[in-house]
Amino acid sequence: MTESTVQVCVLDDVGHINLRGDRHSVDFITAVESVIGQSLPVAANTMSEKEHRVFWIGPDEWLITTVADNTLGLLADLDKKLASHHAAVNDVSGGNIELRLSGKNVRDVLAKGCTLDFHEIVFGPGTCAQSGLAKAAVLFGFVEAPHTFDIIVRRSFSDYLLRWLANAGCEYGIEFR
Amino acid sequence: MQPNRLKQGGRIDRSRALSFRFNGKSYEGYTGDTLASALLANGVSLVSRSFKLHRPRGIVGAGAEEPNAILQIGRGASTLPTQRATQVELYDGLEARSTKGWPSLRFDIAAFNDLVSPLLAAGFYYKTFMRPQALWPWYERFIRAAAGFGLAPREPDPDRYEHRNAHCDVLIAGAGPAGLIAALVAARSGARVIIADEQNEFGGSLLSASQTIDAEPATAWIEATTAELDALDNVTMLTRSTVFGYYDHNFVAIVERCTDHIGEDVAGVRQRLWRVRAKQVVLAQGAFERPLVFCNNDRPGVMLASAVSCYIHRYAVCPGKRAVVFTNNDSAYRTAIDLRAAGASVVIIDSRAEGAGALADAARADGITMLPGHIVTDVSGRRHVSGVRVAQWNGDVTSTVQNTINIDCDLVAVSGGWSPAVHLHSQSGGKNAWSDDLHCFVPAEYAQANVSAGAGNGKWSLQDCLQDGLDAGIEVIARCGIEAADVTLPLAVEVASRPLEPLWRVPAATDPDRCPKQFVDFQIDTSVADIRLAVREGYRNVEHVKRYTALGFGTDQGKLGNINGMAILAECLGEDIASVGTTAFRPAYTPVTFGVGAAENVGDLFEPVRKTAIHASHEAAGAPFEVVGQWHRPWYFPQGDEDLHTSVARECLATRKSVGMMDASTLGKIDARGPDVVEFLRRIYTHDVGKMKVGRCAYGIMLGEDGMVMDDGVIARVAERQFYLTTTTGGAAPVLAWLERWLQTEWPELEVYLTSLTEHYATIVVAGPNSRRVLQDIGCNIDLERDSFAFMSVRDAELAGIAVTLFRVSFSGELAFEINIDSRNALKMWQLVADAGAKFDITPYGTETMHVLRAEKGFVIVGQDTDGSVTPVDLRLQWLLSKDKDFLGKRSLSRTDCVRSDRKQLVGLLSEDGKTVLPEGTQLVDDPGAAIPVPMCGHVTSSYYSACLGRPIAMALVATGHSRRDEIIFASLADGSAVPVRIVSPVFYDPEGERQND
Repeated sequence: MTESTVQVCVLDDVGHINLRGDRHSVDFITAVESVIGQSLPVAANTMSEKEHRVFWIGPDEWLITTVADNTLGLLADLDKKLASHHAAVNDVSGGNIELRLSGKNVRDVLAKGCTLDFHEIVFGPGTCAQSGLAKAAVLFGFVEAPHTFDIIVRRSFSDYLLRWLANAGCEYGIEFR
Repeated sequence: MQPNRLKQGGRIDRSRALSFRFNGKSYEGYTGDTLASALLANGVSLVSRSFKLHRPRGIVGAGAEEPNAILQIGRGASTLPTQRATQVELYDGLEARSTKGWPSLRFDIAAFNDLVSPLLAAGFYYKTFMRPQALWPWYERFIRAAAGFGLAPREPDPDRYEHRNAHCDVLIAGAGPAGLIAALVAARSGARVIIADEQNEFGGSLLSASQTIDAEPATAWIEATTAELDALDNVTMLTRSTVFGYYDHNFVAIVERCTDHIGEDVAGVRQRLWRVRAKQVVLAQGAFERPLVFCNNDRPGVMLASAVSCYIHRYAVCPGKRAVVFTNNDSAYRTAIDLRAAGASVVIIDSRAEGAGALADAARADGITMLPGHIVTDVSGRRHVSGVRVAQWNGDVTSTVQNTINIDCDLVAVSGGWSPAVHLHSQSGGKNAWSDDLHCFVPAEYAQANVSAGAGNGKWSLQDCLQDGLDAGIEVIARCGIEAADVTLPLAVEVASRPLEPLWRVPAATDPDRCPKQFVDFQIDTSVADIRLAVREGYRNVEHVKRYTALGFGTDQGKLGNINGMAILAECLGEDIASVGTTAFRPAYTPVTFGVGAAENVGDLFEPVRKTAIHASHEAAGAPFEVVGQWHRPWYFPQGDEDLHTSVARECLATRKSVGMMDASTLGKIDARGPDVVEFLRRIYTHDVGKMKVGRCAYGIMLGEDGMVMDDGVIARVAERQFYLTTTTGGAAPVLAWLERWLQTEWPELEVYLTSLTEHYATIVVAGPNSRRVLQDIGCNIDLERDSFAFMSVRDAELAGIAVTLFRVSFSGELAFEINIDSRNALKMWQLVADAGAKFDITPYGTETMHVLRAEKGFVIVGQDTDGSVTPVDLRLQWLLSKDKDFLGKRSLSRTDCVRSDRKQLVGLLSEDGKTVLPEGTQLVDDPGAAIPVPMCGHVTSSYYSACLGRPIAMALVATGHSRRDEIIFASLADGSAVPVRIVSPVFYDPEGERQND
């Protein structure tokens, strides 16, 4: 039996909020940051991490991940705070599956299905990116050194992606938790 | 017993003997052998028959250039065709066979081709099989059987392959002296380095020679260098890995053969495709020795001099005992010395006038006979060389010569000089230039971020290769913006060598068109006479001559023959080689398996299967799935051994009579909001979204700019400035992209944000007269009665305490509710609905029943009843076209074509016999008796048996159909019969719509 050097965990205690708004509006950013208590990343492919994780997913779009129980509260707070702004706050928790991959060969597994460069000097702390993993569109986030990544995938693709991971990771004794 | 194996030396492991079979016969070799070296060790000289003329052929080379020893390796499902024996590592139990030669390799009936070879000259194929054209299929059978270099297995591939993406600062192709030292510089400087070599170990040409570096055997330098590279984290070293493709943007493909050298049925990945994005590439792939072109130069036993040296040094195999070395340059002198050291007698025949210089002196000192100023003009022996005919060389290639000497021999080692392996450089878009000094093409203009080094850059001596590799390493590191670390140039002892004198073809005793075949391209049987014929017949461009003579068309892409061929062409045309130029090299450098191209994208993983949140329940219920895009949707829910039709009939009746439920989660769902959302949607949809009240739904269609129906769905106004749009399943992604396109590129002034909620919400449809009661029984916190929750309304609610959004819309024509619920709660809600509905015999139904129910109501499915050429007017949806505002596609609706009177229009059809279910797609005709070709007036778009109506129904697009109500036309069936059908309204059921309003 190969020693497992890649572990996959399907996170179930997590909520996802999709946020759209004008990054050029200082008011908007201040309003959001006052609710989430952390910075709203405006540089492409970056994320901020504190109580929540906030992923930049477009010039005017973010994905906020948080503890499942906080989601509706955070959603309501954002809605309230942004009531006078042109913004869109949507609960998308049901639509995403978040996988946490860890173990020393995670980058090797990802390299089998994604053309991005996952080397630590390129894809390090604070980095996120959207790309394809095998034939599914995903969002990658580097969540913990040295090699813990989160992969957020649309729910309907999750079964395919897990099967793909099981196949790609078999040489590393991939384990699902 | 291996007659040609030397007692000592070589990089083989004599303690590990391996047995293998070739054409059914058993032989022994050693670990470290290639199949070619093991065959040569065993004295096997005949390995295949040639492509066209079926001439006996032996091993010529020692690497990728091998044109003859193209064998079928392995058995059964994992067999590999088109393998060069020179690159197949020996493993225990290896089975190899020739794919030419019937009934046997030794007695090949098709060798008759050789006797009639004057009839089979270049262009034979084009001239002979052109006419009569009707006979081509007959010719093709025989040509196909005669062609090819191997057999593809018929069984599914049992092996595992994978893809791997990689990024690096510097990719180095080739780990000979130049590549290794370039890698050393880059690696020591801290760059991310990938170095790949096709061989089983690094070292390249140094493995086949006895040179020294820094006064030590070169192998010591290789070991030290590879050990240092191996210890560095920033270096990936790939052996048995061929860089086979160089594409745009420095995207380079490498195939790594992981287990092919171990055997078949080995666990793990057999081959891996590396897809490398490199900032800089160093091409250090070395050079190929050129053969010399003389009569019968293809006889087994005629080999490249460098290959002979390789077999002696690397594999301890001496392929002959009485050798003739025929050369026009100094490098083959080393081979002569190697042969002598291996115990063979050697005669050197050098076309150059003087046998002078350090290497000649060394050869002479070894007791080697030398014949300077002579040429080998012909070879005797058929299945193996038995002697050579030698003439004095007068330097005039157009003359005929008088053979003066016959020399008996069993090996002819030839060298016509060297050609850099410019294949990858050429693939990268780089240009090559002819060097009059080196007599070869060398890389000249670079098109991408790469540099060539070593013999591949026209550097022949070891010292020059090391210097060139070092320079290349420093150059690419500088281009990456990295400071180069210190690497001392190692010193190799060089013997001064004399320049080559070109000898592109050797004259014969008779004129070149009548003399025995002088082969240029062994693999494809192209001879000097073929090239001359092509020129006589008017071909002048090198690409045309290539196609006419097939020169360079083999799987070896002319690695051996091309340059000689170009030179001979130049001679025929009276031009110089530089102006004739070369043909283009294309990927793959050597053949690549389909298996590694497909890799893991087969079987289960070929295409993603998208599953709804309720999928598990459908699976447990035994529902077959219909593939809709990538989605798998339950098709029907059979009970017992029901078939599709029985099941669908039951599901339809149950829904119409009591209540049914279905999973509609795949519909696209988009949240649209913002100050300008009303204006935006007015432009998108044909109806006036602005007139919708909050809490109300509407059916909406959107048109393409051409006025054709693009998508449809329900739109709900959930707040003053917030809408919830649904799309068709297939339209979910394209419609979102379409809307974003207008927002981002055409109407950036509109403040609207869109968010896809397709996957967040699952949708459960509860339809039928009892649907309201089912929801009430689950426990609903709002009043579901008609007066407070009317048809086409939307409301947030709770069912059994779970938050849902309820839509009172209907795609079945029945009283119906669509429950939109967070996907995480969907499975639970599905069960709650099923439980609450049990007392009404609630019936789950799939996509087929959904189709029947909507067809009974005449509701179209965009993409089924429309095909991108259908306007809303064709569908009788003009009531949806607002006159008060503009919308996308509106102007196109008044185009001449959109208003012509004979457009195909949507109608209902009823088979007159009341029982024929028309196949969808059936063509409709007015008069089945009309003369062929019978004019067609339309086609069937949807057709089902309606259990509810007790008869088949169909929808169709029929020319001027709207004005042809009650006319009889004919459906033309595949068996030639014509079924009379009546044109009716497409609304077959409850035309007043009372049921859905209930």
